[in-house]
Amino acid sequence: MNPPGTRKSWVGTFAGVLGFAVTLMAGIPDAAPAADPEAGRRKAEACGACHGTDGNSTLPGTPSLAGQPVFFTHWQLIKFRDGRRKDPQMSPFAQNLSDTDMADLAAYYQAKRPRPRPAATDPARVAAGKRLAELHHCTSCHRPGLIGQEQAARLAGQDYDYLLRLLRGFKAKTASDLDGTMTIAAQPLGDEEIVSLVHYIASLAAEP
Amino acid sequence: MRRIILTSLTAALVVGLALAPLAGAQQAPPTWKQGQPPSMADSTLAPIAQPPAPKAPGEIPVDKIKVPPGFKASLWAHGINNARVMTWGDKGTLFVSSRVAGNVYAVVDKGGQREVKTIAKGLNLPNGVAFKDGTLYIAEVSRITKMAGIEDKLDNPPTMEVVYDILPRDLPHGWKYLAFGPDGKLYFNIGAPCNICMPPDTHANISRVNADGTGFEYVARGIRNSVGFDWHPVTKELYFTTHGRDWLGDDVPSDRFDVAPKKGLHFGYPYCHQGDILDPEFGKGHSCSEFTPPLLKTGPHVAGNGVHFYTGSMFPPEYKNRAFLAQRGSWNRTQKVGFRVMMVTLGTGGAPKYEVFAEGWLQGDQVWGRPVYTQEMKDGSLLIADDYAGAIYRVAYQP
Repeated sequence: MNPPGTRKSWVGTFAGVLGFAVTLMAGIPDAAPAADPEAGRRKAEACGACHGTDGNSTLPGTPSLAGQPVFFTHWQLIKFRDGRRKDPQMSPFAQNLSDTDMADLAAYYQAKRPRPRPAATDPARVAAGKRLAELHHCTSCHRPGLIGQEQAARLAGQDYDYLLRLLRGFKAKTASDLDGTMTIAAQPLGDEEIVSLVHYIASLAAEP
Repeated sequence: MRRIILTSLTAALVVGLALAPLAGAQQAPPTWKQGQPPSMADSTLAPIAQPPAPKAPGEIPVDKIKVPPGFKASLWAHGINNARVMTWGDKGTLFVSSRVAGNVYAVVDKGGQREVKTIAKGLNLPNGVAFKDGTLYIAEVSRITKMAGIEDKLDNPPTMEVVYDILPRDLPHGWKYLAFGPDGKLYFNIGAPCNICMPPDTHANISRVNADGTGFEYVARGIRNSVGFDWHPVTKELYFTTHGRDWLGDDVPSDRFDVAPKKGLHFGYPYCHQGDILDPEFGKGHSCSEFTPPLLKTGPHVAGNGVHFYTGSMFPPEYKNRAFLAQRGSWNRTQKVGFRVMMVTLGTGGAPKYEVFAEGWLQGDQVWGRPVYTQEMKDGSLLIADDYAGAIYRVAYQP
């Protein structure tokens, strides 16, 4: 039914994924210490060039991290490190992060106040997007005001171009998704609807 | 000619009108919310978020784990993000799976200290791990792979070879339990891709393939999602847990513990829940008597995962052949339940005896850990994996 020989081409794909072995010693008491936002601030210096020193990026297409829930930022960093999420700029950065680094960075960014990202939004698009956000249950996970929670991202105050790229990626099933929820949610959306949704999200106040 | 064009235009218009309402229609909610009736629309219940990092030992209050008199629970290993299924290698390596963390780990005992190595990462919900003849088998959402000779190569793991990959890609209930049956075949679940729906014929079952990936067949049907099974040490029959559907209320339906003494039985989903409640939508025109009833109702929303029949000699004799059921705990219930390891005694003549073995991960309304699978050590002590704290506990009998 499935002769193993037909799978050969597949094996090479995983060689890269497996060329490593991470070792943690049990019994080391600080294997996962409480996150330290101050340590996170220092570790975030390298991130500031793109994401802004306070986590509010000004580069179109680059996401803001200020005010993102701790679980969200930490899970995304894990996914960049293990290759489930890929980005030519982010992926190399994440390779050298320890679990403690990730926890510290996530704690630092959650504590920063999100600022709005400039976007020229069209009122008709915004109105259509607001309706679509209701029809597609966005607040079920992202909360009213789309401020995010736990592993679900804060969308309010996020960059237009980044939102558009991600939502189109979820629709195309190429964006990394922790448990499939966003990929499933994006499937009924046409591209016009995606654009309208992003106009609406980009029109929201960074802080309700 | 003109008439034909007009007709075509009319047809296009009719099609357009028929499709138009779809674009503006209410869409399916996220999977966890699917099946929620309008009467519960204001509910604040939602799944418990999986932490992205394991807890440090100082954050794991192992003394809160309550076990029967004479037993003692201790922290055996930690720092294993999202630790789920445990399976032993021939040479004493404990292989541990995860789900959203995407990792598979190897835990090696080094003179009383446990060393944790990540042997695979970035996988697609790799919940299932099973070991046979020197080879580790890993089940992701849509494929089963294997690593031959892994125990000699923990620091340089071999490539994963595909065993079987003709499986649905649906992520909801797509993660798998994987185990070798007494017949040497690999058993796994294909869950319903939803909370409640009419699943495709290919879903909502337990299936099996030969260890080389040939001979796929369905074993049992009508199972919403079973992510834990084991075979009775004496009868060799398949026993399994099933998570019941959500959003029918705090107290229904019960999760199930079932036995499938033969192939081809139907256990009711989506028509009948807990053996005696017809689904409000899909139960119409059916009777629960059409389906195999549960061996045991294990309680609403308890989230029964791991099943393990005890065969060791450390625990008192009455523990022999008892089933340990690890219950990860509820989210779709006002008052939380589960977060414990239960035990089931079969063959007493009457109903199975069902009692608590280990609890304490739930303190009031606060959850600090979620027991999800159990495994026996060679000395007969019991390991319990906690995917929330990223830890493994050991329960020993030392009166």
